[in-house]
Amino acid sequence: MTATTNPAGERGPQTRSRRPAWLTPGLLRDRTVLLLVLVVVLVVVVTVLDAMGLTSGRFTTDYLAAALIGYVPLALLALAELFVITSGRGGIDLSVGSMVSLTGVVFGMLFQQQGLPLVVSIVLAVAFGALLGAVNGVITAYFGFPALITTLATYYAYRSIALVISDQKPISGPEISEFYGAAKSVELPLIGHLVPLVPLGVFTFLLPVAVLAWFVLNRTTYGRKLYAIGTNDTAALWSGIETRRTRMLAYVTAGAVSGLVGVYTVAQFASARPDAGTSGSGMALPAITIAVLGGVAITGGIGRLSGILLSALLIVWLNASILLVVPGNEGAQAQLLALGVVLLGASLLSNATIRRRQAGGSGRREVPGSVSGTAT
Amino acid sequence: MTVTDARAPEEVSLRRILPPVVTGQEVVLLAVLAVLWVLLGIFTPAFLTAGSIGPLLVQVAPIALIGVGMTFVIITAGIDVSVAGMIMVCAVVTARTLVGADVPAVVAVALAVALGAVLGSVNGLLIAYGRVHPIIITFGTANVFTWLGLRVFDSSTVNNIPGTLSFLGRGAAGSTLGVPHSFALTLVAVAVAWWFLRYTRAGRNLYAIGGNQNAARLAGIKVQPRLVSVYLVTGALAGLAACMIIATGTSTLDQSVGAGKELQVIAAVVIGGTSILGGRGSVVGTLLGALLVQTVVSGVTQLGWPTQLGFLFVGVFILVAVGTDLIRERARRRA
Repeated sequence: MTATTNPAGERGPQTRSRRPAWLTPGLLRDRTVLLLVLVVVLVVVVTVLDAMGLTSGRFTTDYLAAALIGYVPLALLALAELFVITSGRGGIDLSVGSMVSLTGVVFGMLFQQQGLPLVVSIVLAVAFGALLGAVNGVITAYFGFPALITTLATYYAYRSIALVISDQKPISGPEISEFYGAAKSVELPLIGHLVPLVPLGVFTFLLPVAVLAWFVLNRTTYGRKLYAIGTNDTAALWSGIETRRTRMLAYVTAGAVSGLVGVYTVAQFASARPDAGTSGSGMALPAITIAVLGGVAITGGIGRLSGILLSALLIVWLNASILLVVPGNEGAQAQLLALGVVLLGASLLSNATIRRRQAGGSGRREVPGSVSGTAT
Repeated sequence: MTVTDARAPEEVSLRRILPPVVTGQEVVLLAVLAVLWVLLGIFTPAFLTAGSIGPLLVQVAPIALIGVGMTFVIITAGIDVSVAGMIMVCAVVTARTLVGADVPAVVAVALAVALGAVLGSVNGLLIAYGRVHPIIITFGTANVFTWLGLRVFDSSTVNNIPGTLSFLGRGAAGSTLGVPHSFALTLVAVAVAWWFLRYTRAGRNLYAIGGNQNAARLAGIKVQPRLVSVYLVTGALAGLAACMIIATGTSTLDQSVGAGKELQVIAAVVIGGTSILGGRGSVVGTLLGALLVQTVVSGVTQLGWPTQLGFLFVGVFILVAVGTDLIRERARRRA
C-alpha cells in the first residue's frame, strides 16, 4: 500500500508525508534479509536432520543443485509477475500458465513439425509470447479493463487454443528429445570439478533474463517509469509519462518471458505438452504467490528482483527438502501446506510490521480492502 | 414492494441509492442467452429438450450457488480464489462420512455446510483482522485447504459412495416436475441474496464497503464483522455445492474434485456485471452469467466441436460482458 494514493483519513499530514521516505526502503531490505535468513535456516535445519539420519536420502549440494531444474520456470514466471504487478492499477497476470502452454505448443510445431532451426524457433516462440502479452496489455492499458478480468479471459482463451490446435496431444519427436539437453545438468567449465552439476537452464534461460531484467528495472528510464505508474498513476501521467504504453510493455514483457518458459518446459519434459502450464492448478497461481512472497506489493510500485529470486529459491529448496523429510505422496502434499503457510506468514508478518511503524501505537484501525481502492 | 404516498420521499432517495431492480447488464445477458438457446435449438434439435436442459441446470447449480457468495465478496471489493480448495475439503470429508457412517442426507449436508463455513471464516478472519489483500490471503489458504483435502483423500479415491444425496443429483430422484432440486435450491439462494442485498441494512452495507471502505467505516459500518460474514457465507455455499457435486458424480470421488472451479465462479460473477473493483453488482446477473458459461460449454460439445473450444468463447464472453459494462459506465459518468 502506498501512502500517496491512500490518504489516511483523520491522520495528520505530518505522519503521512514521513512514511514513504524511510519506511519503504527499510521494508524492502527487511524482506530480502528475511528470505535470505529463511533459506539459510532451511539448509541448516535439513543438514542437521540429515546428520541425525532422519532423511530418506542424502541432503547434499548435488541434491540442491539438481532441484534447480524446477527453479528456472518458477523464478522466470515470478519475474513476469513482478513487471505486471509493479505496473499498478490492480495489475496481475492470471494467463501466464496458458501462455506457457500455448507458446510451448507453437514452439513444438515450428521446431519439430516445420523443421525450423532451433534459434529461429526460440525467437519466434518468444515473439509469439510477446504478442499474447500485447493482447493482455492493449486490453488492460488502452481499453481500461481491470487486469484480473483481462487475464482471466485470456487464461481461458489461450488454454483453449493450445488444446485445440494440438488436438490435446503432446508434440514430441527426435529433435525435441535431443533438445532435452538444454535443461539437464552440466559440469561448469574451469571450476566444474569444485561445484556440483547445475542444470544448464539456469545459465541459458534464467541468468540472461535476470541480468536484463535487473538492468531494465534499475538502470533505465523505463524501469523508473514502471515504478512511477505503479506508485501513483495520476501523478505519473501529469509528469509526462506515457502511462498506457509503459503499462502495456509490462504485459508484453510478461508474455515474452512466459514464451521463454514455454520453450524451457518443452526441453524439461522432452515434449511440447498442451497443458504444460495449466494442468492442475496451473503455473500462474504459484508464480503470483512467489512474487508476493518476494515482497512485491500487490497494489503496485514496490518490488525487487532480488526478492523474487530469493523467494523462488526458498520455495524450490523447501519443496526439495520436504521430499527428503516426508517421503512419498505425503511429501508432495506437504509442499502445498508449506507454500500456503509461508505465504500467509510472510504477508501477515510484514503487514503487522508496517502497521506497527505507521500507527506508532495510536491504535488507529486501518481496514484491509482500502488497498483495492487504489486500484480504481 | 408496496409504496404508500407517505413514504414516497424516502422511497425516492432509496431508489437513488439502490441499484436498479434489473440492470442493463442483466437485460443484455438475457437477450444473449435467448439468442444462443434459439440458435442452438435450430442447429442441434436435441438441445431444447428436457433431456438436455435438465443436466445443464444441474451443472449450473453449484457454480451459481457459490457465485452468490462470490458476488457478496466481490461487491466488498474482495476476491476468494480458495473456492476450489474448500469444495475439495467439504466433498471428501462428506463422502468419507457417507461411506463410513452412512449418515442421513440432512446430517451430511449440514456437515458439509458447517465445514465450509469454518473454512470460509478462516479466510474472513485473516482478511478482516490481518488486513492483508484478500487475493494474497486466499492464495495462501487455497494451498492449505488443498493440502487438507489431499490428506483426507490419503492418496486414493473415495469409493462406493452411497446414493444418500441423490435428491441433489441428475437422476430421476434429483428433480420434481422436470426441475432439478439443486437448481431450485440455487434459485432460492439467489432470491434470498437479492432481497438481502437490496432491502436489508447489512446488505447495503456491503456496497458501501466496496465503494469506499474508509468512508464506510467512518459512517459507522462495522466493516470487519461484515467482511468475515461474506467469506463465511461463500464457504458455507461452497460446502452445499460440494454436496451437489458428490450427488452428480459417480459413486467414486477422485482428487480432481473442485479443480478450476474458482475461476469458473469468478467468470460467472464478472460476466453477470459485478464490478471487480467493488461497490456494484447483482446476484441475478451472476446466475445469468453462470447459465451463459454452461450454455456455451455444453453447446459447443453438442455441436460436435472440440469441447475445449468452449473455453475460448468463455474468455471472449468475459471480455465482451465487461467491455459493454465499461462502455455503459463511461456513458453514465458523462451524462
